Amino acid sequence: MDVGTALIAQSHRVDLSLSTAIVWALWLFVGFAGVFPGIVAYMVWLERKVAARFQDRIGPNRVGPFGLLQPIADAIKLIIKESIVPRPADGLIHLIAPVLVLVSAFLSLAVVPFAVGLAPIDPPSGLVYLIAVSSVGPLGIFLAGWSSRNKYSLLGAMRAVAQLVSYEIPQVLSTIPVALWAGSLSLVTIFDHQATFGWNAFNPPGFLAFVIFLIAGAAEVNRTPFDIPEAESEIIAGYHTEYSGMRFGLFFLAEYLSVFVVGCVATVLFLGGGAPLPFSAFPRNLIDGSLGGLVAANAILLTVFLLKVLLFIFVMFWVRATLPRMRIDRLMNFAWKYLVPLCLLNILLAAAWFEVVVRPGRVVASRWATGMIVLGMLTAGAVQLVFRVNRRLAAAAPIDADWPTVGSRAARAGR
Amino acid sequence: MARFLFLAIAALGLLAALGTVLARDLVRAGLHLVAFFFCVACLFVVLEAEFLAAAQVLIYIGAVAILLMFGIMLTRNAAGGEADLSGGWRVPAILAGLAVFAALAFGINNTVSPAGAGPWARVVERPALEPADAAWKAERSRAIDDMPRVVGEQFMTRYALAFELAGLLLTAALVGAVALAREDEAADSVAEPEPGAEARPPVATSPRPSTTTAP
Amino acid sequence: MVAYNYVFVGLLLLLAIGFALAPLALVALVAPRKKSPTKAEVYECGVRTHGETWVRFRVQYYIYAIMFVVFDVETVFLYPWAAAYGSLGWFALVEMTAFLALLFAGLAYAWAKGVLRWA
Repeated sequence: MDVGTALIAQSHRVDLSLSTAIVWALWLFVGFAGVFPGIVAYMVWLERKVAARFQDRIGPNRVGPFGLLQPIADAIKLIIKESIVPRPADGLIHLIAPVLVLVSAFLSLAVVPFAVGLAPIDPPSGLVYLIAVSSVGPLGIFLAGWSSRNKYSLLGAMRAVAQLVSYEIPQVLSTIPVALWAGSLSLVTIFDHQATFGWNAFNPPGFLAFVIFLIAGAAEVNRTPFDIPEAESEIIAGYHTEYSGMRFGLFFLAEYLSVFVVGCVATVLFLGGGAPLPFSAFPRNLIDGSLGGLVAANAILLTVFLLKVLLFIFVMFWVRATLPRMRIDRLMNFAWKYLVPLCLLNILLAAAWFEVVVRPGRVVASRWATGMIVLGMLTAGAVQLVFRVNRRLAAAAPIDADWPTVGSRAARAGR
Repeated sequence: MARFLFLAIAALGLLAALGTVLARDLVRAGLHLVAFFFCVACLFVVLEAEFLAAAQVLIYIGAVAILLMFGIMLTRNAAGGEADLSGGWRVPAILAGLAVFAALAFGINNTVSPAGAGPWARVVERPALEPADAAWKAERSRAIDDMPRVVGEQFMTRYALAFELAGLLLTAALVGAVALAREDEAADSVAEPEPGAEARPPVATSPRPSTTTAP
Repeated sequence: MVAYNYVFVGLLLLLAIGFALAPLALVALVAPRKKSPTKAEVYECGVRTHGETWVRFRVQYYIYAIMFVVFDVETVFLYPWAAAYGSLGWFALVEMTAFLALLFAGLAYAWAKGVLRWA
């Protein structure tokens, strides 16, 4: 497990030496100012291509080969457009709001371990840091809506914040099992832990947590079916109605950056980071102290990591192309009545999994099998319990009764 | 260096606090408060308590600020009164502020440290940040390097009762808010005139608050 | 030192702010600026805006915010518990179960009283 410390020791402690300064400068100016925005720009291109294919269109193909220069054209367009600020708006806050949202998305990338030794920083409470900085985003969204002095904006912002804070709770709670198994809040330790115990998504409580994290993550970044905040057919564009030109561009950038962040975090927390195989320390055992070994291992890790993130991003695009928008009452119900109770139960299940499998310190086949069977049944039972209780309660209250009807006995009897 | 940082952050924090008090607009005052919370988080970092800093940002900026903003959006009456703080409350507010300041100053000055040393007021020399005691030093460095775990251990052992009481307090806060909200809802529905009677005025100026809101 | 990690965070904060403001500065230089009273109006689907923007919102929003704060504080307790669980054992599990049960009781109360209903 300590192979990662061979050459580049990623440690909680850093010193302000010249080498640190060089590494940080590289991260800041190559990573955060270059590569990440680039990735985000091409995510937009990819989304347009993917969405086009789903709708039997070709998508952007005019600017450059396959429309590859489209993001650059978009950026130029946004820059040479006039920024219109409505007269009654609170000018300063109108300016601060998109900056706040973008800063929150940027800061949350600082703790993601992309490969061994390739995390900008690794504070001991990295997970809390991650959640904390990403929780600043809703405040920016509220300020955007409030400062615009537009009823649709304010309404959209209030709805957006209500949704974001509701889904933040299940998102945060679903990361507790992961921290519990790794015994640490450092993302690097969580990443290392999965080299020994298999990917976190590959055990019953972990799988449940993974699914909840994905759903809540999609809601956190306002993707369909959770895009009520910017429901353009209902409230124009929600909180960014009064944003035009580059100021709108900042929101746009922040949104796609958050999609990237959610993909990265899900990969690190649940899919073993860049590891290509679930139960093997494969590319890490290439690290033998030599530079070549480290480079080879990190090349594999980084490639697989980005592929996994790409998969997440693609799934989000796919979902967007497939599902309609959820109604807001169902949306809030789903967060508080389904996901939160499930998360609370799942924490206890995660503790049980820890006792059965993780406590011995290495994977013992018999205990692992016992854990898979017993906890698999318990987890399925927990899901059943929450859904059944909800259906029974919903049937008693007519206003909730139409959710979820698919497959429920009441619905079949009623039709 | 640390002293300089502390002074800079404290000065910014004071400015933010002043802004909170002096801002005419409630949302702007709230925003200044957020800046102040951020300064406190920075102070925690300077004190090498990064878990607390993250928790500070998570709870105060991420959650309490949102609560504050929602509260502001809620309290404004639909008839369209002044959102600014009215002057009539200024004198009591200043008195209350001074009283809190006096209580805090008195408390801090007379606190006896856990180690049993005398009150701060009588300490002539600033205590060393890192005492020479080796065991103490090791403990401190473990707490800094692995703060979440140490905090968790303390919660579960030494402060177990306080921990459960915190849970009770949170539940009480939730129950209280629910009870109050239900009262408010009931009052609203009683005060509400018959539907349709005032459908003419545009949505935002309608005097019926419960219908001027989110669908 | 562990706290030096946050020097990077501070630098990143500055970079992010710069990254957000730089294109805006460019816009101020490059983009056209033609003011007109109509353009500066609030856009509400082309209909002239009517009355105050700041309507009184429903108390539901506040309830959700309160619940959010309560559960957020809870997670701050849960994270250190999760990190320390391996070295604590059954007692910690019992304590946390009690804590979670308390909070769930709060949630159940809100649920039973019907304030979780977005109507």
